Amino acid sequence: MRLELRWFAVDELAASLATRLTGQRLEIDLDGLRALLSADRRLTGVRLDLVHPGERCRIGRVFDVIAPRAKLEGGEDFPGVLGGVARAGQGTTLALEGVAVVATDQQSDNVGTLAVIDMAGPNAELSAFGRTHNLVISAWPSPGTERPDYLAAVRLAALKAAVDLARTAREATPDRVEVFELPPSPRVPPELAHLPRVAYVFQIHSHQRPTGVDEGILYGDPVRRMLPTIVHPNEVLDGAVLRGFMGRSVTTWATQNHPMIKALYAAHGRTLWFAGVVVTVAQATEPERVRSAFLAAGLVAHTLGADGAVLTKIGGGAPHVDMAQAASQCEALGVKTTAVVEDMSTDGSAEDMLLFDLPGVDSLVNVGSSQEPITLPAMDRVVGADDLAPKLLGESRATYGGLCGAIEQVGATRVMAEVR
Amino acid sequence: MALRVVSFLNQFFGQLGGEEKAGAGPQAIDGAVGAARAVQQALGDAGTVVATVICGDNYAAEHAERAIAELVALVAAAKPDLLVAGPAFLAGRYGVACGALCAAVQAELKIPTVTGMHAENPGVELYRRRVYTVETGAEATRMLAEVKRLVALGLKLARGEAVDTPAAEGYFARGLTRNVVAGASAADRAVSMLLAKLAGRPVASEVPRPAFPPVPAPRLLKTLEGATIALVTDGGLVPRGNPDAIEALNATRYGAYSIEGKSRLDAAQYDNPHRGYDTTWVKQDPHRLVPVDVARELEQAGAIGKLHETVYSTVGVATTLAHSARMGREIAEKLREAGVDAVILTST
Repeated sequence: MRLELRWFAVDELAASLATRLTGQRLEIDLDGLRALLSADRRLTGVRLDLVHPGERCRIGRVFDVIAPRAKLEGGEDFPGVLGGVARAGQGTTLALEGVAVVATDQQSDNVGTLAVIDMAGPNAELSAFGRTHNLVISAWPSPGTERPDYLAAVRLAALKAAVDLARTAREATPDRVEVFELPPSPRVPPELAHLPRVAYVFQIHSHQRPTGVDEGILYGDPVRRMLPTIVHPNEVLDGAVLRGFMGRSVTTWATQNHPMIKALYAAHGRTLWFAGVVVTVAQATEPERVRSAFLAAGLVAHTLGADGAVLTKIGGGAPHVDMAQAASQCEALGVKTTAVVEDMSTDGSAEDMLLFDLPGVDSLVNVGSSQEPITLPAMDRVVGADDLAPKLLGESRATYGGLCGAIEQVGATRVMAEVR
Repeated sequence: MALRVVSFLNQFFGQLGGEEKAGAGPQAIDGAVGAARAVQQALGDAGTVVATVICGDNYAAEHAERAIAELVALVAAAKPDLLVAGPAFLAGRYGVACGALCAAVQAELKIPTVTGMHAENPGVELYRRRVYTVETGAEATRMLAEVKRLVALGLKLARGEAVDTPAAEGYFARGLTRNVVAGASAADRAVSMLLAKLAGRPVASEVPRPAFPPVPAPRLLKTLEGATIALVTDGGLVPRGNPDAIEALNATRYGAYSIEGKSRLDAAQYDNPHRGYDTTWVKQDPHRLVPVDVARELEQAGAIGKLHETVYSTVGVATTLAHSARMGREIAEKLREAGVDAVILTST
């Protein structure tokens, strides 16, 4: 399968009368876009803001971040959620660099759990979204709209906007082209047959909280009864997998730019053979967890024939253990593993970093502690959270987990907890 | 300005004598004697060993509390900027005394301390979390080189300079975590680590494996028909209104709830604040978490002797090991006092 990502760098974002890309300047017809997004009856009062790197601005109530992408040929945009259900991962996709769509959640009131993005100051350095020009969408639920429907509508609005922006690049000449091509897993050329075969086990959702009917995660499916299954890595890069509505240290943006898949592609054919991706969900009960762990390990070992596997998790403690059980099952089948964990300690003590001690699961990378306190310096402007502006403007305390993009559980980030 | 340093040694390294002098009580000698001369040499112009404080190993081990109090007083009298204790190498009594004295001096005199010992010295496990403990060999064969590392770290502490990682400075990890920014993304590090593991190269995991002490299950010494059974859960069952205000995660509290006279739990009277799993089904029917209904049937049928009339409950999610151990101990003590023979612990 072959996917071509045509990249267009954006270094200026401005409101205008028409949505278009002129060189590296992206202009947005905000009224037109607002009209498009307001057509969803579940929403009322859509508001759009543009914020820029270096601006003393804080985005509040961040729900998810979407990378602007649009299919040029060979598929649907965000299939099963925005576009029709169709295979993703082949053909050509337009991708804008340096700009992101930030969806906010206007229903959540707990300041302590709301994620923020700082566009200036030390926290801007920690998050990819402190360095992008951002279109911030704030929308309110229309009367009678239940919370799951509201969140589905907010995400859909962000996806529509992401496609709308990327379509401006249809006629333009890309700055660079990235090609992702991986042959069917068993077809290894003889001269590369000596390379270790490596699979990626990608936990895409945690059932700690049940998904809503419109909470499409895999090709629009809410993955309620999903068992481990194999997908082509290009499908993940091309919009087949979206983040669910529980947003702990993970964004859809990181999934669209999946760092593990990109790292494995980068090494593919040189130091390893990328054997494929197994997607899993963290299960809610022990029998489900055990079943899922050995099925995932079986796909890795017996179907993909992998010598090694990397694993990531999504969510909190149960997914962390779920991933470790899958890793341990891989090790039991002779597949070497490394797993990416969060530091789970709530008091900064190394003895609490892990919630498991399973055979073979001894090679771990960590994405830091989301509980560690961080200072939010004073800013000049707050967007996405007008009602909270008085609290969010001044200097306050938050945690790494509350800074959107500082910790991405799929491994996009560089923050790590160091034991001293 | 040259720093004032006190060196702490045992009777052997302080040149009082061997095992026959192990009972010697604390004493202070002006200037550097015995192994403290290596400390002075390592300090060079940066500091002066103003006193050498010495205590016999047995005295320190047998009268620990008194010995430390006396030693702290001797250290205080020398008005130092830094205490260098040991190195104790593999000498167990000496290592424990070094750790205990450093911890006490830091706490009471508010001055920095450093010690050094071998990885298997019991003083490491007892004090490394509180006291910077430099790793040394088992014996004093490389005394000066190892003292130099203690002193280098000690000078940083005394000057308030930033201390580098355990690996860079050579001290035992203190078991504290702190977020830093790594040179590569977690994904890139994970792939590199896997390739190293596949190639059979040594792998440095970024997370230490937890050392959960094994807890052997005790044997029930009577038959179930004669036993009193209690129900305990970390799944978050609470009476409506959560009267003990048990936290939704990172719990520090547990509740004791009477089931006296109840053959079932009425869902309307209970709630569940647990934030670590989908509580829909246990809110709908609390017996899915705490099976009072079936336990009562077993009690009536005589399959178990008696159902204990108190259910203990907490929220087990992101709970620290320290709080878990404490709550478990407290609940176990109460159950034992009440004559409970066995527990059914339902977790989620």
